[in-house]
Amino acid sequence: MFDLIIRNIMNRKVRSALTVCGIALGIFAVIVMGAMSENFHQTFERSMSVTSDKIRVFAESGVFGGGLTDEKVSDVLRVAGVKDAYGLLMTTFDEDKMGMTGKQILGVPPEKSSVALYPVELKAGRFLNPGDSYNVVVGSNIKREYQLEIGSKFEIHDKYFTVVGILDYTGSIFDNAVIIPLETAQDLYDVGNSVSYIFAVPDERVDAEVLSKRIELSVKGTSTLSPDELEVQARQSFMIFSVITISSGILAAIIGGLCVMNTMLMSVTERTREFGILKAIGAETRDILLLTLGEASCMGFLGGILGILVGSVAVYIMNAWLANTRIVLFLITPRLLVIAMLFALLIGALSGLYPAYRASKMSPMEALKHA
Amino acid sequence: MPEIRIEENGLETAEKLEKELNKSNLGNKEQKIIMQVENLSKTYSQGKILVHALRCACITVRKGELLAIMGPSGSGKSTLLALIGTLEKATDGKVILDGIDLTSVPEKLLPRVRREKIGFIFQHYNLIPTLSALENVELSMRFSRVPKKEREERARKLLEELGLGDRLSHKPSELSGGEQQRVSIARALANKPAVILADEPTGEVDSKTRDSIVRVFKELSEKGQTILVVTHDPEVAKECSRVLRITDGVIKDN
Repeated sequence: MFDLIIRNIMNRKVRSALTVCGIALGIFAVIVMGAMSENFHQTFERSMSVTSDKIRVFAESGVFGGGLTDEKVSDVLRVAGVKDAYGLLMTTFDEDKMGMTGKQILGVPPEKSSVALYPVELKAGRFLNPGDSYNVVVGSNIKREYQLEIGSKFEIHDKYFTVVGILDYTGSIFDNAVIIPLETAQDLYDVGNSVSYIFAVPDERVDAEVLSKRIELSVKGTSTLSPDELEVQARQSFMIFSVITISSGILAAIIGGLCVMNTMLMSVTERTREFGILKAIGAETRDILLLTLGEASCMGFLGGILGILVGSVAVYIMNAWLANTRIVLFLITPRLLVIAMLFALLIGALSGLYPAYRASKMSPMEALKHA
Repeated sequence: MPEIRIEENGLETAEKLEKELNKSNLGNKEQKIIMQVENLSKTYSQGKILVHALRCACITVRKGELLAIMGPSGSGKSTLLALIGTLEKATDGKVILDGIDLTSVPEKLLPRVRREKIGFIFQHYNLIPTLSALENVELSMRFSRVPKKEREERARKLLEELGLGDRLSHKPSELSGGEQQRVSIARALANKPAVILADEPTGEVDSKTRDSIVRVFKELSEKGQTILVVTHDPEVAKECSRVLRITDGVIKDN
């Protein structure tokens, strides 16, 4: 039966090709949008794993609201159950680009730099040490973009820093991080003794959720995000982003599906007499269904393959192009490929369902009378 | 289209059926009865009007008969064939083919009956244009799930027997009308049916081709193949072992 299906597709080459292109376009959109979502997903998951053991303490007015100072760090440290606490200053590296490149300056107390960044490992050099002032540790993307090596000079806010450490690639926000001593950062950006947020590390036997609430109650003017709350919040934001990206891809694929349905309906109408003949010579309903659904599914499969190929090439080209700006925006994962292929097959089969049903329900006599 | 008439004729009786059986000009009383049509009727409505396409048709057909069904256009010949062929549902009556009451066969099993018991030959050949002669003949065997090798062999043999051995890979558009009709005959024979139903099989061919098709029918009939031929052509009817005449949905002359 499969040879008949292929032959029917091949007999209407132009129409079949256009239909396959319709599906391919939809799957192309699924791949591109999905790859964007997958990239964000991976970055999100890795960032979560890197910071999952810490409670974030913010000023009540928010991360950009100010009001969080070194004194508050001491207050947080005094709360029972807090093993360690340190403030971090976070600001955008490229202020002229409004932070669009994702590069961040992270002011970290030098003695805490290894724990603050844990479990990120060094690719070369060392973390910041007490006494460091104009030394810097850079993420893997920063190293690549500015072609930095250990000992290189790196200009930040009109001051030159010496690169002492290069972080391993993590696929997280730390790949774009420029880590300098907290005090140097506070001087450089003239923020006094302000910090953006405080990392509080709970004792091993203390429940992070409980401690999070305790900090909020004990240290006035602060709000906290426990690891679980942060994850929920981040997942919600990620979900919204995914829904927007994926649904635009799915919408394109549905349009491709309608394209198949239209083609199959035309084909079934044109071949009414043929179906009559097949029924007259003994074709079962399932044979007709198989022929029509098989055709639609095959076009879905071909469209899926084509869409995945073209989408992957497009993603590769865009990533290569964006590599100049050191931004990785797309990530094709095996999961995405499987989903795209299944979606193409599903679209093909679903679109063929109604035309197949119509073909299978035709009265053979009526079909034979069809001109 | 038959005249619109109110049904007033009585049902054909069993005696009449018996008479018809005796009248069979096949002459061989020993031959097996392959098909019995009993009081077969088809009525359909056109708006508020009831149209009797076929009324109480009774036919008995013996194995190997070549039976012509004649009548003017719209008299009900094709309806009779469609009812026997299970392409349409009868309003009343029975068709017993090879011991099976076709009118009581569930809808689901009808394709199997059409595949295994009935072979169709149409006026317009009705071959699948995208398939070769060989593939067209193989088609009904595909639906019977006959293994590829076996169905290819059988289709090739049938086409060779019908003189189309050198036309196996030709598409219908590359064949003459007569050749197409012979492919259609081969297709009808593929599953070794109990009866072949031919609807105006010579309607679109010249007299020479017509004669060759009739010759094929006669040869098949002599080998025991039962064939019902709907025709307008007296030359075709002349060659048949028996002729049924049908007018306004009623079998007049048997």
